[in-house]
Amino acid sequence: MLSRAAERVYWTGRYLERAENTARLVQQYSQLLLDLPDEVGVGWPELVRIVGAMDAFRASGKAETETGILEFLLADTDGSTSLAYSLRMARENIRNTRDLLPHEAWENVNELYQEARRSLGPAASNEDRFEVLAECIGECQKISGILSGTVSHHSPYHFLSLGKAIERADMTSRIIEVAAAYIQYNERLVRRYGSSLWTNVLKSVSGFQMYRQFCQPQVQGFRVIDFLVRDRAFPRSIAFCVDSARASAAALPRGDRTIAALDRADSLLQPIAAEGLSAAQITELMDTVQLRLGEAHHAVATTWFLHEGAA
Amino acid sequence: MRLGPNTYSAGAFYDELIDRDGAARPHAARLADYFSAMQPDELVARQRAVDKTIVDMGISFTIYSEGDNIDRAWPLDIIPRAMPGEEWNRIEAGLVQRVRALNLFIDDLYNDRRILKDKVVPAEIIDSSRNYLAPCRGVSPRHGVWANICGSDLVRGGDGTVYVLEDNLRVPSGVSYMLENRNVIKRVFPSLFQDHRVRPVSEYPTSLSAMLQSIAPPHAAGDKPEIVVLTPGIYNSAYFEHSYLARTMGAELVEGGDLVVGDDDCAYVRSIEGLTRVDTIYRRIDDVFMDPEAFRPDSMLGVPGLMRAWRAGNVSLANAPGSGVADDKVVYSYVPDIIRYYLREDAIIPNLPTWRCSDPKHLDHVLAKLPELVVKPANESGGYGMLVGPHASHREHELFRALLKQDPRNYIAQPTLDLSTTPTLCGEALEPRHVDLRPFILQGESVAVTAGGLTRVAMRKGSLVVNSSQGGGSKDTWIIEAQR
Repeated sequence: MLSRAAERVYWTGRYLERAENTARLVQQYSQLLLDLPDEVGVGWPELVRIVGAMDAFRASGKAETETGILEFLLADTDGSTSLAYSLRMARENIRNTRDLLPHEAWENVNELYQEARRSLGPAASNEDRFEVLAECIGECQKISGILSGTVSHHSPYHFLSLGKAIERADMTSRIIEVAAAYIQYNERLVRRYGSSLWTNVLKSVSGFQMYRQFCQPQVQGFRVIDFLVRDRAFPRSIAFCVDSARASAAALPRGDRTIAALDRADSLLQPIAAEGLSAAQITELMDTVQLRLGEAHHAVATTWFLHEGAA
Repeated sequence: MRLGPNTYSAGAFYDELIDRDGAARPHAARLADYFSAMQPDELVARQRAVDKTIVDMGISFTIYSEGDNIDRAWPLDIIPRAMPGEEWNRIEAGLVQRVRALNLFIDDLYNDRRILKDKVVPAEIIDSSRNYLAPCRGVSPRHGVWANICGSDLVRGGDGTVYVLEDNLRVPSGVSYMLENRNVIKRVFPSLFQDHRVRPVSEYPTSLSAMLQSIAPPHAAGDKPEIVVLTPGIYNSAYFEHSYLARTMGAELVEGGDLVVGDDDCAYVRSIEGLTRVDTIYRRIDDVFMDPEAFRPDSMLGVPGLMRAWRAGNVSLANAPGSGVADDKVVYSYVPDIIRYYLREDAIIPNLPTWRCSDPKHLDHVLAKLPELVVKPANESGGYGMLVGPHASHREHELFRALLKQDPRNYIAQPTLDLSTTPTLCGEALEPRHVDLRPFILQGESVAVTAGGLTRVAMRKGSLVVNSSQGGGSKDTWIIEAQR
């Protein structure tokens, strides 16, 4: 398989997953802000920090208001952070690898991109936001379903899965950071409303039912975080994604360095004891997880993508 | 004659299907019968079936429009264009003769230059050609063959004679559409093939692959040579074909950035296994974009060092760089002499009479007769930059008069052809439309010619422009064996 094709397929996996999770993050964060009383002072800029785009946001010149920030995160076509950008890149990568991927994937991603271009701008300010984002999540899942259901399990499939797993692990760590923000700013509310807030976190990753069935019936804050970090059976947990990325790397030639990098990320995923960690510690841990995942990506790129310098 | 309930009349031109008295030509009698039995609504329904099959099979071509590129469904007319087998045998022999002579010519130009010393072709024509590439001097590719894939355009004039209109020796395209046209027509008219003995075209990818293997550098002999198809990328108008040929040959489709030439002057492809050696590159990139080290330094499409690797004999390129020197239209006018010089044979397929504007006497004639002539630039393809005298305005005539005086070397003129016609479905009626034919000739260790080729048809009434980028359509081309 050509390095260029491998790179494009890998990024197809990443951008599709990033698009879906950006929609999930924005939904979840909108929900969080509705639950918080204004006086706790947490606002939209926190979300920009969580997705690691503070500098890009400042450079964009957009206002630090709900609408400005949501335009930046959803519809901005100049920067590389927005949901619209992820969809554009997913489309571009699928377009360039049409010979490797099923035709339906191209048709669907093209439709989704065209539709998103129309609806995401208005969604930054209007009341359809939840609906538009839910639609977007559903369409991304449809394309992922087409790919996982029809691509033969050879190198292109493994690169697709590898990209998807690394991206999902990264995005789940950011969703956990949002959960940490709950605790930090909201201890009074957590005490008062308890489980309903954590239920929202679980629902944002479609994990509520799996948590209840296989973890425990009561929804408790630290158990939720532990579930999202370490549950090796739940497909959106960090541990699951790391396992999945490792399996993909093992199916490819010369995967050792990537596997080693993923092992180092895995070693961070220690049991999180009840009340054992502060919100700040959780945030710090997630930042470290993101760094290790970045190292795994670097191993992927230098092993397989062979850019000019690497030749 | 009657084709269905519609009367089909060929008008003033030579018609491929019917003779001057309106009777079907013998080789095409059954084909004419078949379509005669069809009502107009059935013709239209079959055309819709063809169009739908083309969309379903994803047969497309790309055109540029205002900086955007758009995939268009490939236009294919339902009525095949038929030629008799005996006639084709002669044409095939003529094409083999022509390509052999042209390759001897190119090899000579870059090495001994005998034909120039013997003054059969004037040296200044070659030395002033921008397709004569100095870095190719002294190289002799495998089997002495430079143009491995040639697409010569054939036309039939009013008296029924088939001429070579031009030779495309750089990166001729269209063969994938020839193959797909046959696949589509077979699907939509299966019974038609039971009644005829039509020569198959489907072996082309196998022949192409065999030819590319036969030109691999000697180091690859014994092993299966590694062959790749080099494309400028998805925005190129012929990307469909690049991807189609790579797929049907089982070769990797690569872009410039996928290839790298090492300090050892060998070519490699960047793959997930690491760098792997490449033996033959079927390149669909123009010469000057191929290697920024040797030609245009701003080319983003090429591979730095590719010419080095080629000159060292470590990688074969098809077509070899510099082959285009022989499809200069001024050189074209010497092809009959070139054939005589190298093969001591007369050309089997004639050239069109051609006036070279570099010759003052020819130029005077061209300037005087401009409204009757077709004027072509020496080095353009795709039908661009030409003047069709009888169809042009007075202003265009004046514009070309100025161009010809300013740069006579770069223009030739030919008589306006009474291009032959063939029945074509236009709306609900069968009408005559002008056609040409592009066969494809492969030369490596041996020579192979497609049975027929790609027939292009000018869909607008009276138009002679067959290029798909300018509203042309296409037809399946049948070489029909005589019935026993």
